[in-house]
Amino acid sequence: MERRSFLKGFGAVSACAALVPSIVSAADEAKKVSGPNEMSVESALAAITGGKSVTPSSKVSLSAPEIAENGAVVPVKVSVESPMSANDYVKAIHIFATKNNNVRCANVYLTPANGEATFATRIKLGTTQDVLAVAEMSNGTFLSAKQNVKVTIGGCG
Amino acid sequence: MKTLIKVKPKDYKVGDTVKIDFMAMHPMESGMRKDKDTGKIVPAHYINEVNFLFNDKVLTKMVTWESLSVNPVLSISMKVSAAGTLKVLAKDNKGESVETSAAITPKG
Repeated sequence: MERRSFLKGFGAVSACAALVPSIVSAADEAKKVSGPNEMSVESALAAITGGKSVTPSSKVSLSAPEIAENGAVVPVKVSVESPMSANDYVKAIHIFATKNNNVRCANVYLTPANGEATFATRIKLGTTQDVLAVAEMSNGTFLSAKQNVKVTIGGCG
Repeated sequence: MKTLIKVKPKDYKVGDTVKIDFMAMHPMESGMRKDKDTGKIVPAHYINEVNFLFNDKVLTKMVTWESLSVNPVLSISMKVSAAGTLKVLAKDNKGESVETSAAITPKG
């Protein structure tokens, strides 16, 4: 008798378990659509470069910790080699967290008056992911640098 | 929104490049987090625009998003060309804006 009731209960539970995944995925889909500022790396890059190619370059140096224990506060520093003169300077530095819901972190538009093309801040990372820095030069080219950051505790939520 | 501008180092001359830190006390809510007590999603609330002006000329413009940490610090460089005022205008997505200024006083 006990065994029978146990089996009945077990059957009911497994039936529930079969239903659950579809509910979760539906909720995920809804979240994806309604998420504020939801954007992928591809579309964010295309919006900035206008279809131009982005080349990885040693001129852009991105420093971020290899392992971040707390994803809520990850220090990121970008510096770009440039004379910063009136006709050869870094127009902008863009920082992306490639696996965050909204990949855009900051778009920084510089002028020759900056003297040096540097930008530093602290960002939130949801999971282990690549941080991408894109520098827009005054001659219209786009240079980039990338670093993987391992996150122990996510910082988005 | 409480804000603060720091210029490093303290002593500098005309022609030096100094580091400028802009700090703001801001929750930087992503709009993804749930309130632990009510279970409701906390609406997004983040700084989306920061403009640095030196003597009313644009030095640096920033568009920022919710991925910046709570109480963000934004640091840039500036080549000191003359004495003057550095003004920082920051705006968040709820329309709150704040203006902070710091005096740039090169020595010698």
